[in-house]
Amino acid sequence: MKKKKKNRTHLFFIAPGFILYTVFMMIPLAFAFYYSFFDWSGIGPMKFIGLGNFTKLFTSPRVSATFFSALGNNFKYLACVMLIITPIQIFFAYILYIKVRFHKYIRFMLFLPYVISTSIVGFFAIVLFDPNVGALNEIIGNLFGKAHKLAWLGDPNLVFKIFVGVIIWQCIGSGMMIFYANMQEIPEEIVEASVIDGCGEWKRFWRVVLPMLTSSLKTNITLSVIYAMTMFDLPYVLVGPQGGATGKLDFINMVFYRFAFGGTYFGETSIGFGSAISVVMFVIIFILTLVTKKLLKKLDY
Amino acid sequence: MMRQKRARKIEGSGAKAVKNVISAVLVLYTLIAIYLIGSTVLNSFKTKSELINNTMGWPRSFTLENFRQVIVEDHFLGYLGNSVILVVASVIVLCIVASMLGYALAHYQFKGKALLENYFLLGLMFPIQLGILPLFVMLSRLHLTNTLPGLVLIYAANLSFSTVLFTNFFRGLPGSVLESARIDGANDFQVYIRIVTPISKPVISTVALISFIQIWNDFFMPLVFLTKTRVKTLTLAVYSYSANFLANWNKIFAAITIALIPIVIIYFLFSEQIVDGLTGGAVKG
Repeated sequence: MKKKKKNRTHLFFIAPGFILYTVFMMIPLAFAFYYSFFDWSGIGPMKFIGLGNFTKLFTSPRVSATFFSALGNNFKYLACVMLIITPIQIFFAYILYIKVRFHKYIRFMLFLPYVISTSIVGFFAIVLFDPNVGALNEIIGNLFGKAHKLAWLGDPNLVFKIFVGVIIWQCIGSGMMIFYANMQEIPEEIVEASVIDGCGEWKRFWRVVLPMLTSSLKTNITLSVIYAMTMFDLPYVLVGPQGGATGKLDFINMVFYRFAFGGTYFGETSIGFGSAISVVMFVIIFILTLVTKKLLKKLDY
Repeated sequence: MMRQKRARKIEGSGAKAVKNVISAVLVLYTLIAIYLIGSTVLNSFKTKSELINNTMGWPRSFTLENFRQVIVEDHFLGYLGNSVILVVASVIVLCIVASMLGYALAHYQFKGKALLENYFLLGLMFPIQLGILPLFVMLSRLHLTNTLPGLVLIYAANLSFSTVLFTNFFRGLPGSVLESARIDGANDFQVYIRIVTPISKPVISTVALISFIQIWNDFFMPLVFLTKTRVKTLTLAVYSYSANFLANWNKIFAAITIALIPIVIIYFLFSEQIVDGLTGGAVKG
């Protein structure tokens, strides 16, 4: 297809995307690193302070306590992904794969919440879990009396569980369908061989299907790591920008948001300090992605 | 055909009862979504006084008063308009740019191509949230904060995933189609416009659908970049109701219904394509 004369037409096709992507995606990412070395509120002169922002983030008692407690929540959520959400997704995918009754309807409905905006999902959670007008408390009140009503989202011991429950409801479909698509690609011969060998469904799942899921596992974990480390919308909608009164739903991206854009509400705005938080998120995502890749490579052979 | 055959074999060997129980439990589970969506739509037609003592039941009388208040008094059509403009403009720019990129990456050989491909993949690993502060500084200097075009640029620049979908699609096209066009004397641009674009309709619609959903539902970017009322999107407007829901108890159901219905209709019409687009492209990565 290549012509003899020097052909540069491909540049015409590449240029618009390249410029747009570089200017509004890659340069901002790079500049987050640059800004993180400065004390700068966004207006006025920039003052170079080296690693000062990072020192403040990790050691200043007031800030670092908030930051590490939020970071702990990010990892707590990531642990929930690995131990609860991903296994459920694989299980549901297998249920669809073996075509239980109504599997088409189930697949359609399980994925549906994923296309609904988080601000609406957050409202649904309020409809169910609000202490005053929520449906659950209304049911409890009618069945067992008012004394048994729960504070739900206002209860520091319950709020994280509700949050994970809402995410399971909203997001289970996406990972499930990635696993499901992967299961469809498992070669016919292997499945048939296991049938002939008299392998039961349960055994087949562990011996045949699960080991074939490495590629979708890699995709799902990478996506989950990014999602977990940039968690923002749902906790913000559920309990507000502070992560709730007890900070049980505070995440690093929300700490970032408060320092970067919440100046009017929280008294402190700093482009430099905010960028330092971005850089930390960047580094964590990078390391976790590398670790995932390494671990799953081992599984592959 | 093959899949059905396989399924039947598995069916024969398994414990049917267990499977039926699981199926029944999952069907029950799907009732949550039906209840939430259904009751929201029903509640949007109830009067304020009926909502207080009949939040869970069928409305006794249908009223459009909530919708009138939301649309006329709270300018909801303006938010709806903002969302529509934002989504349509972003999707158009994104489709044009990503399709050209995908075409070039799939059908031309040039120096540094592998490097360029990896460069465009970086966006899958590092979400734009991480660069949002520099982006904010940049858009402020260009006077593009609190404008829809500013956000369109950001959404269109987030083109990694769409480019992968386009590149994979174009790689699968037979080269002969394009060759024959060239023999007819058409140049590269004509081939792209007249032949490539029409046959890439399926991938264009996939990219358009999934970007539509993502942009329509996006919360973070509008929260940061669109703080003035005149540019607010539906998701932000919905949030401002639910953040203060006791004061807006009757209006909120109408507001949610307006925001929810378009996306649910689109999902009903194109669910297969949406699911394939969101998950199919990911497995290959």
